[in-house]
Amino acid sequence: MAEETQTAVNSEIESPPNERPDGAKERVIFTPPVDIYDSPEGLVLLADLPGVSTGSMELQIQDNKLTLLGRCQSVIPPEARLLHKEYDEGDFLRSFILSEDVDHERITARLNNGVLEVVLPRAPRAAPRKIEVKSE
Amino acid sequence: MAIFRWGDSWETFRDLERQVDRLLNGLTFPIPLIRVERQYPPINLYELPEEYLLTSELPGIEPAELDLTVANGILTLRGKRAAPTNAIDDQFRRHERIWGAWERSIAVPERIREDEVRADFQNGILKVHLPKAPETRPRQIQVIAGNVEGEM
Repeated sequence: MAEETQTAVNSEIESPPNERPDGAKERVIFTPPVDIYDSPEGLVLLADLPGVSTGSMELQIQDNKLTLLGRCQSVIPPEARLLHKEYDEGDFLRSFILSEDVDHERITARLNNGVLEVVLPRAPRAAPRKIEVKSE
Repeated sequence: MAIFRWGDSWETFRDLERQVDRLLNGLTFPIPLIRVERQYPPINLYELPEEYLLTSELPGIEPAELDLTVANGILTLRGKRAAPTNAIDDQFRRHERIWGAWERSIAVPERIREDEVRADFQNGILKVHLPKAPETRPRQIQVIAGNVEGEM
């Protein structure tokens, strides 16, 4: 338990889905690089998702698993001929296990210039309560 | 460069072998096949009928912090990605993203209209449109017969 509190977010990479429900051709799926740190507002997660817009971004919390899925929309005209390639266009998928002290109700996220920022506020801890011991 | 080895009696295959060798030797690769060290930012380059299109992945850059210059066939991209400022004690539980200043120069493939280069930046993807100059079309050069013993 202490260990889990220490590392409030544990990364867990999911295997990419093999078939797309829309029948589209299989696309490359990347694990985006992330930064995770503590801020006064809570834990902050930053993920690089170049080419993903707010409309194509899905962020889901189920139980204590946070999953981010960003679909990249191609900006290349179909008639373009590739001369030189250093990166592939593709979708981004990554999942994290949240610790129990993250307040799920107050999680906020925004996407700006291809970077997703998720703020995970800590749930207020219950104040220590003295338990009176009575003798009979 | 022989790539197939057959027995001596296979004369027809030897012909095929020679043909394949000739084909392979005749191929020229427009891009050097030796990969250089991975550079930042990654760049893709496309050709369209009227322009070259350069795209680059630059998540987290503010468009105002992006500096593009083009001169003498060299396109230079410069930028800076700021580190998060609200981290407590600058401690990171995970640190996989790159921050800091970077610069990269690219030789533009052919003559382009440098004064008409334009760029847009959306969702962390930079697109630079490099319109082709009309003089990149083949130009006939007239050969004038000169005096062989004329001045050099």
